[in-house]
Amino acid sequence: MFFNQIHIRIRVCLVVVCVLLFAVIFRVFYIQVFKYNKLSSLAESLWSRELPITADRGEIRDRNGKVLATNMTTTSLVVIPNQIQNKEEVAKKLANILNVTYEEMYRHISKKTSIERVHPEGRQLSYDVAEEINNLGYDGVYLVKESKRYYPYGNVLSHVLGYVGIDNQGLSGIELNYDEYLTGADGAIKYFSDGKGNRLELTEVYEEPQNGINVDLTIDIDLQLAIENELDNVVSKYNPEQALIMAMNPNTGEILAMSSRPNFNPNQYQTSSVEVINRNLPIWMTYEPGSTFKIITLSASLEEQTINLFNDNYYDGGSIQVEGARIKCWKAGGHGAETMLQVVENSCNPGFVIMGQKLGAERLLNYIKSFGFGKKTGIDLNGEASGILFSLEQMGPVELATTSFGQGISVTPIQQVRAVSAAVNGGILHTPYIVSKMTEPETDSVIKLFTPDEGVRVISEETSKMVRYALESVVANGSGKNAYVENYRIGGKTGTAQKVQNGAYMVGNYIVSFMGFMPADHPEIVVYVAIDNPKGVTQYGGVVSAPIAKNVFKTAIELYGYEKSKEGMPREYTWLDTKYTMLPDVVGMTLEEARKTLKGFQIITSGSGDKVIYQSPEGNYYAEEGSKISLMLSN
Amino acid sequence: MKKIDYKLFIAVLLIATFGIIMIYSASSIWAEYKFQDPFKFIKAQGMFFIVGIFLMYFLSKVDYHLYYKKANLILFGCFLLLLLVLIPGIGTIRNGSRSWFGIGGFGIQPSEFAKIGLIIYVAKYLSNNKKNMRDIKQGVLPIMSLILVFFGLIMLEPDFGTAMVIVLTLVVMIFISGVKMSFFIKLLMVGLIGIVGLIIVAPYRMARIVSFLNPWTDPLGSGFQIIQSLYAIGPGGLLGQGFLNSRQKHFYLPEPQTDFIFSIISEEFGFLGVLIVTSVFFFIFFRSLKISLKQNDLFGKYLAFGLSFGIIIQALLNLMVVVGIIPVTGVTLPFLSYGGSSLLVSMASVGIILSISRK
Repeated sequence: MFFNQIHIRIRVCLVVVCVLLFAVIFRVFYIQVFKYNKLSSLAESLWSRELPITADRGEIRDRNGKVLATNMTTTSLVVIPNQIQNKEEVAKKLANILNVTYEEMYRHISKKTSIERVHPEGRQLSYDVAEEINNLGYDGVYLVKESKRYYPYGNVLSHVLGYVGIDNQGLSGIELNYDEYLTGADGAIKYFSDGKGNRLELTEVYEEPQNGINVDLTIDIDLQLAIENELDNVVSKYNPEQALIMAMNPNTGEILAMSSRPNFNPNQYQTSSVEVINRNLPIWMTYEPGSTFKIITLSASLEEQTINLFNDNYYDGGSIQVEGARIKCWKAGGHGAETMLQVVENSCNPGFVIMGQKLGAERLLNYIKSFGFGKKTGIDLNGEASGILFSLEQMGPVELATTSFGQGISVTPIQQVRAVSAAVNGGILHTPYIVSKMTEPETDSVIKLFTPDEGVRVISEETSKMVRYALESVVANGSGKNAYVENYRIGGKTGTAQKVQNGAYMVGNYIVSFMGFMPADHPEIVVYVAIDNPKGVTQYGGVVSAPIAKNVFKTAIELYGYEKSKEGMPREYTWLDTKYTMLPDVVGMTLEEARKTLKGFQIITSGSGDKVIYQSPEGNYYAEEGSKISLMLSN
Repeated sequence: MKKIDYKLFIAVLLIATFGIIMIYSASSIWAEYKFQDPFKFIKAQGMFFIVGIFLMYFLSKVDYHLYYKKANLILFGCFLLLLLVLIPGIGTIRNGSRSWFGIGGFGIQPSEFAKIGLIIYVAKYLSNNKKNMRDIKQGVLPIMSLILVFFGLIMLEPDFGTAMVIVLTLVVMIFISGVKMSFFIKLLMVGLIGIVGLIIVAPYRMARIVSFLNPWTDPLGSGFQIIQSLYAIGPGGLLGQGFLNSRQKHFYLPEPQTDFIFSIISEEFGFLGVLIVTSVFFFIFFRSLKISLKQNDLFGKYLAFGLSFGIIIQALLNLMVVVGIIPVTGVTLPFLSYGGSSLLVSMASVGIILSISRK
C-alpha cells in the first residue's frame, strides 16, 4: 500500500520528465525547422563579412544605340579594422599615399565596424595609387572594384543626361529620373569571419553584381552634335545670355535633339554652378514667346473659319487702337493693304489683333489651352515649368490683342514645339518624350518600350494643311526666308519677343527665335531656335535664328535623306541674296546641246565622248546661278 | 552479489565519451586562443573522465548502506565545506561566484558534492520518518528547514543554478514519499506570491523575465547568450553542419564548452543529434527509476530516485535554458558540459545507483 503510493508518484515524476523532454525536443524542432530560414540568414549576416563590388550603372544611349553615358572601372579602398595588426603603421603609410592626415586615416582604421570604406579620399583611385596600396600587402587592407560614370561626349546633351554623385546616384536629368532602373544591385565577395573579425578558412562566396538597366533615348546624337555645334557658334558669334535649340518629331513627340547654353560637363559637374546644371532651358525657361505664338492664333482662326487667308483683306496703317491703347506694328508705317496670308507672311501685329478680336477671348483662350499651354507637357524629364496664361476674367480687349501676337503670356520652348507640331502634323497634340526604351543589361532585350501616345485632336486635318501652307509661304516669301533651303519644302515662323524686367519691357533686349518644320507638306521634324539677347546684330528672329534653323535642317536632310521636291514654293529673291535658278536636265544630250542649255553655268567635263551620261548636281532642281556643273561623257 | 545494470553503465560511458569529444569540438578554438593549446580543456576533462570511471566502478562495489550509517557525518562535512568556501582566501571566485576551492590548476565545487550529501541525508530521513511524513509539522517542516539552510548557504556564493537543482530534487523526493498534495499546492502558491511580490517591489524583474521570451529586445545584454545559442541551433537544421563545423564556437557563443555545449551539439549534429542525446538522457533516467521501483529497501529506493532525478532535472534545466524555454540560470549539462566536479558527481551518482541495482 505504502510502496504503491510511492510508485505512483515516481511514475508521475517520469511523466513530468517526459513532458519536459518533449517540450525541449519540440522547441528544438521548431527552431531548426520553422525558424531555420530566419535564424540562418540572421546568423549568416553575423558570420559573413562583405567586400562590396559596385554594379555598373545602366548605359544611356541614343536612338541608334550610340553610348552617351557609360562606366569606367576604378578601384576603391576598404579596410577591415579587426584584421589590421599594426594600426599606426598602416595608417601612416595609407595617409601618405592618399594625402590625408594621419589622424583621419587612423580614425578609419580603428573604427569599431566590420568594414570601413575610406570615403571620399579612397574612392575611385587612379591605377598608380591603387598599385602603390596593393604593393603594401597589409592584411585587412583591400582594393575593390568600383564603377565610375563616364560621359564620352562631355558637354553634349548634358542637361538631358544629368550627372551622378560619388556613390553613382543620379542627381539630375535622366540619371535622376530613371535612377531606380539605371542603378544596379551591388555584388560582394562574402567570406566568413569569427567573433573577433578574423577571416575563417571557409568557402568564400562571390555574389555577382547585377548591372543596371540600359536606357535608350529618342535623341539622335548626330543631330544633337549639329545643334551643339550651332549653339557653340551662336555663343562665339553673338555672346547671348542664353540660347537653346530643340528638334522634335511632330508626329510622335519624340525629342530628336535638345540643348542650351550655358551648359556643363557632367564628368566635372563640380565646376559648374547649380543654376547652370539645374536649368534645362528647353523645358525650364518661361518667357513671352513673341511672333512664333501667332501660329496658334492662326490655327484657331482657320479652324473656326473666322478668317480666309486669301479673300480677307486688312489695311495695316502701322498701328491699331484697342481700348484707347495704340498697338504698333513692328514695321514703321505699316504693311499697307494685305491679304490675311500676307499678314502671316509679314508677321503683322495689327493683323493678328484683328484675328484675335474675331475669335474672341474665350475661344482663343480655349485653343491656347487645348494646344497645351499653361501646364506642363509631361515630358519624362525633371524641372519642367508650366508657364502663365491670362485667366478668362483677366482677359480684357488689350490682353486679348497682345495674346494674339504672343505678348503678355509666358510659355516654355517645349510647349511651343509641341503646340506647333500639333498645328502642322494634321492636328494631333502629342505628349513629348525622350526615353524610347529600357533594355536588359546582359542580353539587351527590351524590358519596356515607350511608344507615342495616341494624342488629342486640336484642329482638323484641313486646317493643319492650311497652316502648313501659310507657314511655308512665310519661309518662301516672308520673314522666315533665311531658313529657306533650295529644293526642299520648309515652313516656319520667326519670333522677336521683348523681355520683361520688373514689369516693364526692356529696350534693345530681345529673345529672337525661329520655329520651323520640314518637309512642309508632311512634316517629320520641327526645329525651334531661341537666342536670348544676341549682341552685335539686328535683333530679329529672321536675321539671327532662321539661318541657324536652316543649318539644322540641312543636317537633317543629310541624316534622314528627305527627298527633294519640285512642288515647293519658289523663293522671292532680293538683290542681296544669292540667286538660284532651275537647273535643266541635260543627260542624254550631246555635249554641244548641253553647253547651250546650261548657259550661265560653269561646265566641267570628265570622260571622253560626245554624250552626257551623268550630271551633278541633278537636273530639274534649283542650283546657284553660275555654279559649277559636272558632266560625265561617253560615246 | 548480483550483477550491476550494465545497460545503464554503458549508456553513461557512451554519453560521457561523447561529452569529451564535443568538449574538444566546442573548446579547441577558445583553448587555442587563450592558452595556445587546443587540447587544454579536453586534457583536464579526459583526466576527470578516467577518474570518474574508476570512481563509478568503485562506488558500484560499495554497499550503499554505508551512506545510511554515515549520512549525518557526510552532511556535516558538506556543511563545513559550504561554509569554508565562502571565506575569502579559501574559496576562489570564478564567473562572479565564490563557489570554488582552487587546488592546483583545478577547481572543486563543494555545492556539487553537497548535492549527493543532501540526497543521502533526505533519503535516510524519509525512510526513517515513514509515518511522520503524513504530518506536515512533525515530518515535513524540519527537513524543509534544513534544505532551506543549505539553499541559503549556496545562494551566498551565489550559485543559483546548483541551488535550484538541489532544492527541486529534494522537494520532489519529499513529494514521492507521500506527503499530502495540498502541501505542495500551498508551497506552489507561496512561491507564486513570492515571485509576484518581488516583481511588484522591483518591476524591472518583469522585463528580465519577459526578455528571455524575446531575447532580441536586449541583444547585447540579457538576450546575448540566448541569441547566440539560437544562432547555433537554428542553422543546424535536421542533420547539422557536421562534426567540428560549428561557426558559433568561433568566439560568438561565450565559453561554448560549458553551459551551452548543447547549442554546439545542435549546430553540428542537428535535430538528429538532439534526438539521440535526449534519448540517452531519458534512457539513463528510465533505467535508474526501474532500479528504484524494484527496491524493497526504502532508503535504497529514495536514494536511487533522488540521485537519478538530480541528474535529469539538471539536464532539463540546462536544455530548457539553451533552447530558450526558461531564463538563463547557469546550470551545466551532466556528462556533456566541461567541468570536473560536475562530471565526477554525476558519475559518482550513477556509481551509487549501480550499487543499488545489485540488490
